[in-house]
Amino acid sequence: MPGFDFSNHTRNAALHARGVPLPKSTSTGTTIVGCIFDGGVVIAADTRATSGPIVADKNCEKLHYIAPQIWCAGAGTAADTEFTTALISSQLELHSLSTGRKPRVVTCMTMLKQHLFRYQGHIGAYLVVAGVDPTGVGLFTVHAHGSTDKLPYVTMGSGSLAAMSVFETQWKPSLTQEEAVKLASNAIQAGIFNDLGSGSNVDVAIITKDKTTLKRGYVRPNQRSEKQKSYIFARGTTAVLNEKIIRKEEISKYVSVHDLGSEETASGEKMDIDA
Amino acid sequence: MEFGTTGMLNEDGIHVDMERLKKGEVNLGTSIMAINFKDGVILGADSRTTTGAYIANRVTDKLTQVHDTIWCCRSGSAADTQAVADIVHYQLGMYGVMNGRQPTTQTAAAMFQELCYENKDRLSAGLIIAGWDERHGGQVYSIPLGGSLHKQSYAIGGSGSTYIYGYCDANWREGMNEEEAVNFVKGSLQEAIKWDGSSGGVIRMVVLTQKGADRHLYLPDSNYAVRHQ
Amino acid sequence: MTSIGTGYDLTNSVFSPDGRNFQVEYAVKAVENGGTSIGIRCKDGVVLAVEKVITSKLLKPGANKRIATIDRHMGAVSSGLIPDGRHFVSRAREEAASWRKVYKTPITTSDLANRMGGYLQAYTLYSSVRPFGITAIVGGWDSERELPVDGQVGSGPSIGAGGKVEGKKYGGPGLYMIEPSGLYWGYYGAATGKGRQTAKAELEKLDLAAGKLSLEDGVKEAAKIIYIAHDDNKDKEFELEMTWISGLDGPTKGRHEEVPKDILEEAERLAKKALEGDDDEEEIKEEDKPAEGDKMEE
Repeated sequence: MPGFDFSNHTRNAALHARGVPLPKSTSTGTTIVGCIFDGGVVIAADTRATSGPIVADKNCEKLHYIAPQIWCAGAGTAADTEFTTALISSQLELHSLSTGRKPRVVTCMTMLKQHLFRYQGHIGAYLVVAGVDPTGVGLFTVHAHGSTDKLPYVTMGSGSLAAMSVFETQWKPSLTQEEAVKLASNAIQAGIFNDLGSGSNVDVAIITKDKTTLKRGYVRPNQRSEKQKSYIFARGTTAVLNEKIIRKEEISKYVSVHDLGSEETASGEKMDIDA
Repeated sequence: MEFGTTGMLNEDGIHVDMERLKKGEVNLGTSIMAINFKDGVILGADSRTTTGAYIANRVTDKLTQVHDTIWCCRSGSAADTQAVADIVHYQLGMYGVMNGRQPTTQTAAAMFQELCYENKDRLSAGLIIAGWDERHGGQVYSIPLGGSLHKQSYAIGGSGSTYIYGYCDANWREGMNEEEAVNFVKGSLQEAIKWDGSSGGVIRMVVLTQKGADRHLYLPDSNYAVRHQ
Repeated sequence: MTSIGTGYDLTNSVFSPDGRNFQVEYAVKAVENGGTSIGIRCKDGVVLAVEKVITSKLLKPGANKRIATIDRHMGAVSSGLIPDGRHFVSRAREEAASWRKVYKTPITTSDLANRMGGYLQAYTLYSSVRPFGITAIVGGWDSERELPVDGQVGSGPSIGAGGKVEGKKYGGPGLYMIEPSGLYWGYYGAATGKGRQTAKAELEKLDLAAGKLSLEDGVKEAAKIIYIAHDDNKDKEFELEMTWISGLDGPTKGRHEEVPKDILEEAERLAKKALEGDDDEEEIKEEDKPAEGDKMEE
């Protein structure tokens, strides 16, 4: 399998079984959703990237471009969602160029699932694929192991439960665009506020027959407000306990000073330090 | 990659984990069945897809078409069964084009079995193949985990099937008419859904006869009494 | 063949300016020199027969078979270069086995003919190979009953499957002839080799299309035809080799087998007798012989 080396797997598994902790891969706690409306589809995502307990990026992009009318929301391992969507986007564009047709959402979904199935879940990409093509509106989820689902509204990532609860209580058939965007945004906010892995802003992409609109920071419910007080320490707050002055003339007592000739230009290559 | 914390170390120092395939994978904790009746076959399934304790899809379609009147019921890993069904779908399409005649249910069963047996160590797929063709009428084949092939008058599968062996055995009759057969499938799946926590949602059916494929949908709202769609 | 000697006949895969592949036509010449082979598709089976010209008195009678079994239900015979025929059989067996592996069911006669037609055709495309110097006749019986998938357990409903379309017949005898070009057709009666013209004339008299000839009579007719076809080539000794394939209820139970010794000898006796009778009547009609160099068609 290209890209993966399993030669230490048995050793690592044996060590792990004896209680040695194994390194954790960085996976992005995320909330992503998708929802079909009359005449198009909307997908949305939060913007928090995490690395263990640390928020690595407060405003990252989880909505990936596949084709002008096909976009993908990604959860799971950040690198995997990034590179997998880029790879399929490239292949789909070449396919579109050679067939002279617009790419289809099912084609994209099939390519993604076959790629991910081949890697048996080792590529940790969990995706929501959405778009509009000549056959109509498409919305799918693709799991890392290669399984897919086709539904009118979908959620994925660690915040998917919170987001799904919004859809399950508020969704109704034949939504308008405005209603769908509102619903998707609410679902993401449910993830942002109730899931530790999700946070910051809501990004939204609206795809219709005629155009795609990407709204970065569609909602920013976590703006850092202006500090009400200044927390800068006043000069002299820290007490001086002692003081020692070294003059330039006697600096050679502490370091060896080598005078450069006029023709020799200074360069940072040489540096001598006394033992 | 994240390693599972289940499993044990055997005497050769090899970490054995029988639950490997289930970790984080989308599973069709399922009730599926297919039966022979007077005019052909009927396939039936619940619609629950789970990831651990979470229902990833409550209206899943586990009845997958692989040719005009050859379908299969999928249970086990969603990814594995979808991949296998996609491959056989392609192969049966090619068979029709290359040999100038439609494949039979046997052809489909042979293809499914080859994939399931040759990759038995990599797949968790329990399939039921059912189809209708002019020569052989309706036929039901079951391919359980090891990749063996069983021709049956009716087959049940998935986690929910364990609860309905008695029900099916008591209520099964050969040569039922369509209405009786639909009611048998519905009654069986209702019991499976009732007793199995991993099964639930709607009941889907596909009736395969000389007339082609006919889909049925029954919702829990009306206690599966009304046919929708 | 006016274009002979213009250089277009020296290599395979090169057309002559008038659109012919001479290597293939020369392969046909090799076939025309071989011992006569025939096949008859009867209503309840298929007969294959070959005129085995004896090239040495030191060869053991009955040994060195020319008709081969390809699968349990299928046989093949060829006229032309014998080693090419052997390679044909070997490839046909591989095709039949690979079909069984993939589809878990025996290959039909038409599918095997299709595979072999494709295989022979490929030998007309490349300069590094020569076409097969044979024309092969493939006969088989496709099961008239429903077949299980190889390796299946169980047999379904005790009352049989529901929803079958009644009144249709499936399976039955199959007979195909494959030429060096890769061309193949299905036949009621097929003949190739040196005595093919005489044999074809005799086959046409049988009205095989009516589907009335029984396998038992087919065996007798096949023997007679080989003897009549050999008659033009009297000076050489020959042996008659015959195989047959019947339906599941017939004498071979759907298998390709040698015609049993007693039936073969009886057929030969009748053939010789018919020939003696013929000699009296038809000796005069020598000029009726078919025109030499029958044209390639299709």
